[in-house]
Amino acid sequence: MKLALEMRSVSKRYPGTLAVDQVSLEVQAGEVHALVGENGAGKSTLMKMLAGSFDDYTGEIAINGQVVSLHTPALAKKHGVGMIYQELSLAKPISIAENLLIGRLPTKFGFLDKAKLRSETKYWLEQVGLGLNPDLPVEDISPHEAQLVEIAKVLASNPSILVMDEPTSALSREEVERLFSIIDGLKKKGMAVVYISHHLPEIDRVADRVTVMRDGKKVATKAMSETSRQEIVQMMVGTLKEETHNTAARTPGKEILRIENLSRWGFFHGLNLVGHAGEIVGICGLAGAGRSELARVLVGLDKKDAGKMLIDGREVNITSMAQALRVGIAYLTEDRKAEGLALRMTVGENALVGIIPRHSTAGVYFAKRGHSLLGRLMNELVVSPNDPGRMVGNLSGGNQQKVLLAKWMASEPRVLILDEPTRGVDIGAKMLIHDSIKKLADGGHCILLISSDLPELVGLADRVMIMRKGRFSREMPRSQCTEESVLMAAYEGGV
Amino acid sequence: MEQTRVLRFGAFASFVNVFGVYLIALFFLLLGIALQALGLIQNFISLSNFLNILDNVSLLGIVAVGMAFVTYSGNYADLSVPTTMALTGIVAVEMLRYGFWPAVLAATTVGLLIGLINAVVVGKLKANPIIWTLAVNYVTLGVIRLVWANKQIYPETITDNKEAIGWFDGIFRQEVFSNLFGNPLLDIRLPMVFMVVLVILGQFVLTKTSFGAQLKMTGSAKKAARFSGINVDFVVGMAFVLAAVTAIVGGLAITSLSRTGAYYNGAGYDFRAVTAIVIGGMTLAGGRGSIIGVLGGVLVIGFINNIMTLIGIPTLSQDMIRGLIFIIVVGISAKSLRSLGRDDS
Repeated sequence: MKLALEMRSVSKRYPGTLAVDQVSLEVQAGEVHALVGENGAGKSTLMKMLAGSFDDYTGEIAINGQVVSLHTPALAKKHGVGMIYQELSLAKPISIAENLLIGRLPTKFGFLDKAKLRSETKYWLEQVGLGLNPDLPVEDISPHEAQLVEIAKVLASNPSILVMDEPTSALSREEVERLFSIIDGLKKKGMAVVYISHHLPEIDRVADRVTVMRDGKKVATKAMSETSRQEIVQMMVGTLKEETHNTAARTPGKEILRIENLSRWGFFHGLNLVGHAGEIVGICGLAGAGRSELARVLVGLDKKDAGKMLIDGREVNITSMAQALRVGIAYLTEDRKAEGLALRMTVGENALVGIIPRHSTAGVYFAKRGHSLLGRLMNELVVSPNDPGRMVGNLSGGNQQKVLLAKWMASEPRVLILDEPTRGVDIGAKMLIHDSIKKLADGGHCILLISSDLPELVGLADRVMIMRKGRFSREMPRSQCTEESVLMAAYEGGV
Repeated sequence: MEQTRVLRFGAFASFVNVFGVYLIALFFLLLGIALQALGLIQNFISLSNFLNILDNVSLLGIVAVGMAFVTYSGNYADLSVPTTMALTGIVAVEMLRYGFWPAVLAATTVGLLIGLINAVVVGKLKANPIIWTLAVNYVTLGVIRLVWANKQIYPETITDNKEAIGWFDGIFRQEVFSNLFGNPLLDIRLPMVFMVVLVILGQFVLTKTSFGAQLKMTGSAKKAARFSGINVDFVVGMAFVLAAVTAIVGGLAITSLSRTGAYYNGAGYDFRAVTAIVIGGMTLAGGRGSIIGVLGGVLVIGFINNIMTLIGIPTLSQDMIRGLIFIIVVGISAKSLRSLGRDDS
């Protein structure tokens, strides 16, 4: 069998971490090869390497038996790597035809050959089962169609390897089936496909072999016929680490937060949830399951479409973050750099910004009034360097995250929604943040913990809500939660 | 090592941002002295000339204080300031027939109206501040030229009310301190006092009030400010209202001093104010700088104007030179921001 792609012991180092560690991967022509792993396992770094995003990877990559260097996106394209991303790369105002063939538009005597442009576009659209008019601007077609046009665009560049990263996230069920038959067709023509997905049933349906990654390393490559979903999940999680935390038996107090049938069309539907004082409710789901969208609606950053939200049994209608804070709900964003912190401002300014009104009298702001609180929070979280005048942008990621948490601890919300509170944070900072979260719960706050970090969820949460495609598919009490059972539930929507 | 170097440079850069402008002012002061020593200009070094410089830039200083809040909020500039000044002035003259205070009240009302419209459209509806205020400037200009038929109006032709005219003409000519040191040439007029008071007030609002603290966060990182529960729409809107307030004061002053209500009153104050603000160390990215710095920028412009006039450079060429200085300052500011890795504009 001919090898379309061969990666030999490739590695990629980011400052501080080895994102991909000596990984070897072989994909045959006419094979669909699935790549799976938890968030941060290194699969997207591996694919970026193929796409030519790095000029400093080590190891060898061979395409169709020839060793190539993929140090720029242009080189990757030249050597026949076609990438299909989750996010569309189409320019909305211009026509499908121009989008499809941009960069090598057919010409006649130096002028655009419209007839050829149209006929060529028609051909590629038919390859993905679309009968659209090539002259339509992309903004006039549906997101599903755009996703298929995206695929046609990549096919039109005649790749020898096709990399698909979560290609079904924007597609309906019928369209997914259509995509699979397109992939089957490509396979018959000898195309090598690397297929990245979180949805194990999809992989079951479409893949011939699967490679599992964990912590930047390859765990194994197996033929789909010789493995099971159970085994794949086990390989992703690895040998179970000892369960050190969550021995403190908290008894939840009275109900603070209640949501009933909450919906935001297109993101989540009919959610019901109760949060008590002194309780950590974990929310687990894959990317795109609607977790952050739920948080954004709860704090008034987005509008809800239906349903109710109650605080202390009274219905509230929250339309802004300022109002959410007044009724006692705060949200720690997952994007600390863009949405969380002002990097050019100091630690002190950032930590106290949420409670400026509390330290003001008649509009005059007395920053000094917050100093003792600031000192206490910085000591508790061990912010380093312990200097409130330091610019936040000059702190390490872990310390930035601590400042972000300090900001919300300072405002003492009754309900605190934490969205990936330890993403990209070193282990020391992570432990300190976990301790603070536990202390907050012990102190009677209600915590909603959104996390993709399974040990974190299992270790901290008193119960875990599994979110899948915009719905809570399952509620798991602490006694049932293990990394494996939670992951299984998130991937499968119930065992 | 790397880290400390960057930090030191950062601290140095922020020092330069706030106080560096006074070094620039000092440079032009020394330049003026040198030119006089070389005999190229006369009368630069004298108390009366320095007071004259201050007097000449006091209107610019007044207007720049308010506009600085817009820049600080991350919305670059309020380009509707020139016609806001013109409209308040011409409305004041027109309403003098009902007395001095009704005139001031009416002028303030129309000025605030423009400020509020800007506040809603840029703050709430998120229009591009430059395009929107530019459009408002032209619409207001059109309204003035339409209503007053493209004519200038004078207090004397509007009303016989001598008392109202006297008040209106006199108020900004009011000498707060006259005959300083017994010298009849030395006096301080009201606009200068207004400028100093507004600078102090502006600096206080910017650094010592809850509004100022929220404005800093909004200007530095708008999204993070919104996620911190700050009413960003209100804060940005308030900045435009403050720009309108100082434009009203400036518009009344320029009209009073010229004894003329006209559509061209205030022309050029947009660009000169932005120049003063940027020279004063307030970056167009928002969230950095101070009103004290802006005062420094105003002084620098005062020195430059004064020296150019003493040398005998014609007014039209002066505009070109001011434009060139603006380009250089903005270029340097953008470059130093990039080198600090903080250019997020």
